[in-house]
Amino acid sequence: MSAPRGRVWKFGDDVHGDDGIIEFAIIRDSFGKEFDEDALRAMCFRRLRPEFPQQVRKGDIVVGGRNFAHHNHVEVSVAMRASGIALVVVESCDSGFLRRALNHGLPVMICPGIHEAVQDGEILEADPASGRVTLPDGRVLRANPFSERMVQIWHAGGSIPLLEREFAARRATDREGKAP
Amino acid sequence: MSAVAQTIAQQTVAQKIIAAHCGRDAVAVGEYVTVSPDYTACQELFWPGHKRNLERIGVDRIPRPDKAVMVIDHSTSAAMGSPHHETHRTLRDWCAQQGIENFFGPGNGLRHLVLTERGFARPGTLIFSDEGNIASIGALGALNLPISAEVLVSLIQDENWIAVPPSARITLTGRLGFGVTARDVIQTILRDCTGDGRLLQCCVEFDGPGLDALSLDDRQAILASLFHSGAYTGIMVPDALALEYVRARDAGRPWQVVQADPGATYMTRLSYDLGRIAPMVTVPPDAHGAVPVDQAAGLRIDQATIGSCANGRLDDMREAARLLRGRQVAPHVTLYVTPGSRGVYVEAAREGLLEVLAEASATILAPGCTTCWGYQGVLNENEVLISTQQFNYHGRNGARSSRVYLAGPAVVAASAVAGRITDPRAMLAEAVA
Repeated sequence: MSAPRGRVWKFGDDVHGDDGIIEFAIIRDSFGKEFDEDALRAMCFRRLRPEFPQQVRKGDIVVGGRNFAHHNHVEVSVAMRASGIALVVVESCDSGFLRRALNHGLPVMICPGIHEAVQDGEILEADPASGRVTLPDGRVLRANPFSERMVQIWHAGGSIPLLEREFAARRATDREGKAP
Repeated sequence: MSAVAQTIAQQTVAQKIIAAHCGRDAVAVGEYVTVSPDYTACQELFWPGHKRNLERIGVDRIPRPDKAVMVIDHSTSAAMGSPHHETHRTLRDWCAQQGIENFFGPGNGLRHLVLTERGFARPGTLIFSDEGNIASIGALGALNLPISAEVLVSLIQDENWIAVPPSARITLTGRLGFGVTARDVIQTILRDCTGDGRLLQCCVEFDGPGLDALSLDDRQAILASLFHSGAYTGIMVPDALALEYVRARDAGRPWQVVQADPGATYMTRLSYDLGRIAPMVTVPPDAHGAVPVDQAAGLRIDQATIGSCANGRLDDMREAARLLRGRQVAPHVTLYVTPGSRGVYVEAAREGLLEVLAEASATILAPGCTTCWGYQGVLNENEVLISTQQFNYHGRNGARSSRVYLAGPAVVAASAVAGRITDPRAMLAEAVA
């Protein structure tokens, strides 16, 4: 998979996940059910950028400031992924956000300096596998590269799809092994 | 020696526990490693999704059923119209089918307390869980690594990836003043340390003479709310008090006290004099919006709740009873009290605390999360709640226009009596006299 390259939606510092990026209080009765991706898409970032749900395009990139998406249930990540966001690059965020997002196939790169270096609407290219973030003017910033397993999870579209694939492969191998 | 090599040579508590669980002598901060936990602790709310994913993947047997700790704590009783009765049934059945003996059904209480009271959380153990507030087990020297819905991955693979967290150190000195609780301490820390992100992603190690003077319940209260700062987890090196508690519950299962190396690197070092901390109230909608109680005092309340993984322990029940003994909850206020576990419930009954609370017109709920996530005690438009619960964002407990103020058990109990947010110290002085 090549490095995501896309148009930037830029947000500030301390953006609240549950009570900012989405409105968790509205959808929390959905605990345990399949995600209502239409509802999540419709509310994604609307409080901060009312035009976001209509204007976001598949492959766009979200750039965030310090402590981005703090207090985030998993629906925050699912809302961004369902909106077509290919990648999130932030100044900093809590570990839980990075985990929940990757678990649902949305890579988050922690890249100090990014917030000042890129403007809303510009084109950014960044590769979670190498940690390389290429700015519109060609300068390069560095984030911690993903581990091999994390890259596998990202490429598979999340932990569950990856395990599905691995278990299917294991079953196929078992069948071959048992064949006469 | 390079900076990286030095980091590896001098290890923090988190680094040492993580290294021990990935078969290494040492790990570096920021490194991605795969660890095998001692236990994986799960609650029931996400079970329907986990069940669907298990079927999707085609998992027949999990490799280590002995490491699973499955607890029904969010929906202590499956209410009419809710889907939880089905969750309770299918989770119970799946645990039986998998040979998971550590299944704890409704009424056993919070995972946090199941883990400590039943000897799962022991010094040096690494526990994957679904929530950051389970860092409370760090009071016994156990490391909680919250991985949300990925507890399922850990159950399926008996391992998962983690980023080795940086560490911070907070040294506590002095003693809590009259009418001040551990909740006031963590509210103060959150106020100071959330905005600038200085604890972000950290494992926070607490130490100092002030810590030694706190009860185990107080220590757990501090750790349970730490995650609001953006910290990943927290831990305390167990002292004699903690080790005595562990020994009474380990049932022969192994543990080892883990200490940081003297030269270990800390991203932040802070110190708090407990004697300088005042009763606090956290103003909505942010978990770090704490102010001294006098700045919020006088606001009329509709509801008060005591419980949650922050303040549902025996000390909290005692604190509430101390204030409510011989008094009545204000007529316009509903007070719900939720013991955090069956163990807390039994002890509170034995000490006569439940009798005091009931006589004061408090409603006592079954052990579990209950009011904290708005499952019970739902608020109407514009109502005001003061609570020991974890969150205060818009709509947490019902109507979006309702407001949730967070405080320790003393402030909440005093406010329930006065019908307004109240400094507990005058009322406590009367109770003592």
